[in-house]
Amino acid sequence: MAVAVAKRRKARGLGNERIREALVGYGFIALPMAFFLLFFFVPVIYAVYISRYDWQIFKGPFVGWGNYRKLYHDTVFWHHAVRNTLVYAAFVVPLQIALGLALAVVVNQAIRFRTFFRAAFYFPSLAASAAIASIATYILASDGLFNTILNHLGYHHNNAWFTQETTALPSIIGLNAWTTSGTMMLFYLAALQAIPVDVYEAAAIDGAGAWRTFWKVTFPLLKPAHFFVLVVSIIGALQMFDQSFLIGGASGGPNYSTMTVVLYLYNQSIKNISFGYGAAIGVVLFAFIFTVTLIQRLLFGKPEVA
Amino acid sequence: MSTEQLPDVPPVAALDELAIEGEAAKGTPAATTGIPGRERGERIRTAIAYIVMFGVAILFAIPFLWSVSTSFKPIEETVAGFSLLPKHWTLSGYHEAFHTFNFGRYTLNSAIIAGAITVSNLFLASLGGYAFARLKFPGREVLFLLVLGTLMIPDQLRLVPIYLMLVNWIPGWVGHIGWHDASFVNRNGVILIQLISAASLFLMRQYFLTIPRDLEEAAKLDGAGYFKTYRKVMLPLAGPALAAVAILTFQGAWNGLFWPAILLQDKSQYTIPIGIANFRFAYTTLWPPLMAASVLAIVPILLLFIVFQRYFVAGVAAAGVKG
Repeated sequence: MAVAVAKRRKARGLGNERIREALVGYGFIALPMAFFLLFFFVPVIYAVYISRYDWQIFKGPFVGWGNYRKLYHDTVFWHHAVRNTLVYAAFVVPLQIALGLALAVVVNQAIRFRTFFRAAFYFPSLAASAAIASIATYILASDGLFNTILNHLGYHHNNAWFTQETTALPSIIGLNAWTTSGTMMLFYLAALQAIPVDVYEAAAIDGAGAWRTFWKVTFPLLKPAHFFVLVVSIIGALQMFDQSFLIGGASGGPNYSTMTVVLYLYNQSIKNISFGYGAAIGVVLFAFIFTVTLIQRLLFGKPEVA
Repeated sequence: MSTEQLPDVPPVAALDELAIEGEAAKGTPAATTGIPGRERGERIRTAIAYIVMFGVAILFAIPFLWSVSTSFKPIEETVAGFSLLPKHWTLSGYHEAFHTFNFGRYTLNSAIIAGAITVSNLFLASLGGYAFARLKFPGREVLFLLVLGTLMIPDQLRLVPIYLMLVNWIPGWVGHIGWHDASFVNRNGVILIQLISAASLFLMRQYFLTIPRDLEEAAKLDGAGYFKTYRKVMLPLAGPALAAVAILTFQGAWNGLFWPAILLQDKSQYTIPIGIANFRFAYTTLWPPLMAASVLAIVPILLLFIVFQRYFVAGVAAAGVKG
């Protein structure tokens, strides 16, 4: 019916009305578009511009690729920030995906309280990272709940997990695998529910058990979801900031063991007030994330959850 | 239902979730079919699933319960000895958090920032979403693609330029219109740069697309203008989408750490997360007030989540695209 009305109007040639509609349309989107232009697109160009100057508190001389060259030779950046970020991603991505998939499969069973379980598993993803990080610090303190349990089980561990160079980053990995698994679960759940029931019926008639059905039927059918979850997870991991900032502080302590790329960017820009250098780090990170996304798009098409 | 030519968009599982209303909670039954001789196997599987789920749920809940328990303990009980529940229940953790460590002020700041951002997102996203869904104007598809394009731009790239813009450009601009000595390296800046998000606009637009056109046409025949149609016809119909935008925006702003960490430098403007971050480094082992502050940060979102679970689930795709 709407189409018919529109056609009739077009036929009558209500030119004024169409111009009015267009003007109103521009008016309604004017504020949002101005906002996106000013706070998203202008900053991209401005970031590249800033990165070409020796810009401390005030704008200094033009240095061309100077900041990028400096970054190329920056050992703290490569040996700590990049290394930690890659180690973090290498462990947290498979962990949170596996955990998320396992939770999704269990929650997808036709049983009671599934809404409750889904909520319980998802909630850690929604709680403030600052609160979660504090709670984790307390639980992983030298005399905290975790060490108390370990000692009862006969494993004596009396150091605070976040203050030791060797255990700080692994602890953050464990923490974030836990909190993010709920989000991954929801992605997988949407995909699981899109699998038609008769696929399972066919598998059951063939006499396949639950385990076999999962690996032979469910897992391959989830392929689009795997790719989507993988990319979301990788991009999220490359942007890790909150937990390092909250637990290791702006300097990514102890001894840079929790320093990440984004924390280093924050540290250089806001703490050291090296805006030119900070902008260069931002541009490099953006280029890297953009490449990851682009590769995914080229290989697997646009992301699809359900 | 009108399906206009949609440009390449992120996953819309979110929208299904909203559209199905209560249905989403039920979900689809998994592989339970009446094949003879399988009932016993089914029952064992179900039992195992229950045990695993209860176990994991308890494991997931322990950190939260432990923080709540600790927040009601006197400080001595956290220094020596070990007990699951407080031996002496006390509110002193909360009292200290509020009065000694200013978390009352921080809670108010969080509420002001999250509230302002939510109201602004609701207004701008619904107005813009209505225009993108319903009004015809040249360049509409391209402009909408630009909106979605902002999802590809990470906050980290924007950190330095936005900081410098807030320090140098914006105060100059508002000075021209008579607001002198304005500063945006504070709460104003945190609000200003989050007035609307592409995710909010996207959600509103997609929802408006699913509303039948008949009602608008009727309003138009009655001589209602576009803004009146938006306010009197479209907004009242968009309840679920507005709720989703409100809840997701509020949650994001309430938990936000990145921009507040950059822009809030005056202690009197700290939000709860920044207050917690600051507290942790200043008073490492004062656990009861720290746990009280953490509970304060979590409880409002927990309540929202319990009441509006469906809307949180609906937003996961939009949030996921942003990563």
